[in-house]
Amino acid sequence: MISADGKPVMLSLEEVSLSYQSRRQSFDHGSHHVLERVSLEIHEGETLGIIGRNGVGKTTMLRLMAGILAPTSGRVRQHPGKTSALLTIGLGFRPDLSGRDNAMLAAMLQGATARQARGYLEEIKAFSELGDSFEERVKTYSAGMLARLGFTTALMTHVDILLVDEVLSVGDAQFREKAQKAMIERITGDQTVVFVSHMEGQVRDICNRAICIEAGRIVADGEPQAVLKTYRELR
Amino acid sequence: MSLVQYFRLVDTMARMSLRAEASRYFLGYIWWILEPMLWVSVFYVVFEVLLQTGRADFLVFLMCGKLAFLWFSKSVNQAANSIVMNRGLVGRINVTKTLFPLAVVQEGLYRQGAVFLLLFGVLLVWGYTPSPTWLCLVPVVLVNYLMIVACAYIGACLVCLVRDFSMIIALGMTFLLFTSGIFWDVRALPDPAMTGLVLAVNPLAFLLDAYRQVLMFNTPPDWAHLGWVGLGSAALLYVMVVIMRRNSQYFALKALS
Repeated sequence: MISADGKPVMLSLEEVSLSYQSRRQSFDHGSHHVLERVSLEIHEGETLGIIGRNGVGKTTMLRLMAGILAPTSGRVRQHPGKTSALLTIGLGFRPDLSGRDNAMLAAMLQGATARQARGYLEEIKAFSELGDSFEERVKTYSAGMLARLGFTTALMTHVDILLVDEVLSVGDAQFREKAQKAMIERITGDQTVVFVSHMEGQVRDICNRAICIEAGRIVADGEPQAVLKTYRELR
Repeated sequence: MSLVQYFRLVDTMARMSLRAEASRYFLGYIWWILEPMLWVSVFYVVFEVLLQTGRADFLVFLMCGKLAFLWFSKSVNQAANSIVMNRGLVGRINVTKTLFPLAVVQEGLYRQGAVFLLLFGVLLVWGYTPSPTWLCLVPVVLVNYLMIVACAYIGACLVCLVRDFSMIIALGMTFLLFTSGIFWDVRALPDPAMTGLVLAVNPLAFLLDAYRQVLMFNTPPDWAHLGWVGLGSAALLYVMVVIMRRNSQYFALKALS
């Protein structure tokens, strides 16, 4: 897959729409979002920021890219042989299991073997700074602790396309800084990243391209500063 | 994900759940045995002490039926809600949706291992001696397992599509509890034609009877019948796996919305 300007395309959305029938009018956290004929190409090594108001379909877009959801119409194409993973915090943890078990499960679901997953655990425990809480049930965790665990388990996965959903927006300031630093280290390699955030500073610092979504369509695409300006006008 | 990795994951999820469940209760793993025994006690009090069925071997008769039935009903009931219950993971990872019900069934399988040991213990205490015929139990348990997985997949898909099925499945289990010959003997019905009909229409009644034939009466099960039930379950299981693999994203959307 090569784009018009000769750069390898890691992931492309072609005229992608997503709509569904919901009797209870709820999706995720009560919002109802639909994408309409969205087209987008993501190139190798690019760090793309997706911004938009709450409930415009940012998470849905990442889920389409990760292959978790299928578009109602249009096509989502991934470069053959490349792997991708969606990183989110909080959601997806089983509250009755310990932090260790959850981290193990997350790694195995991401495709790691049991042995590899066990190998990541000490690293996860150390980076997340959870200490003894790592052995306790996730049910007892504060939002900040959940964010630490979520980000760290996410960071340990090694894939070609990283789809990041608000992972850096929570937690205490000290950990957020550490997380952001670790993230930038990953990004400066040839890692391709799609990054959803509502924190303008992060998009400006980390991304080299941004898009803004409004009402299921891309309303701005290009250099982060310019896209952020469009975003501010919408609010 | 390779098949080996898939089954390792199923096994890991099942073990983690069992450990988490045990840590929640004061009596921990003892509940594996205690819960089915309490069920058996309730039935024993009602049908033997109060209603006086008059069977000398009623306790063993009841345990053969009830313990196997509990394996089926608990596994299918819990598995039916498993995709929806795991929607956090479903919304994060594109994984085949068969994973969640199978992990629940696996959990039940481990528990049932302990329950079967208990059943054998009771049989020995009651003076039943193991014989080579007891080996016939292996295909019976296998067919029972296939039936559980097939029903678990059907249930999980239905609940994913329309949540109300969760209620209907729970009610269906109560219906099966009364119609599968757990506290009454399928073979002792006044009309022999009715016995044939129940065994033919309700594969669960056939399986429960097969357990009793093997363990209590040293009689091998009706192989042809067992074969058909096994084949039917396997075919159903195959169809469900194909449906769930092909429509993985559709089920994800349904679980999330």
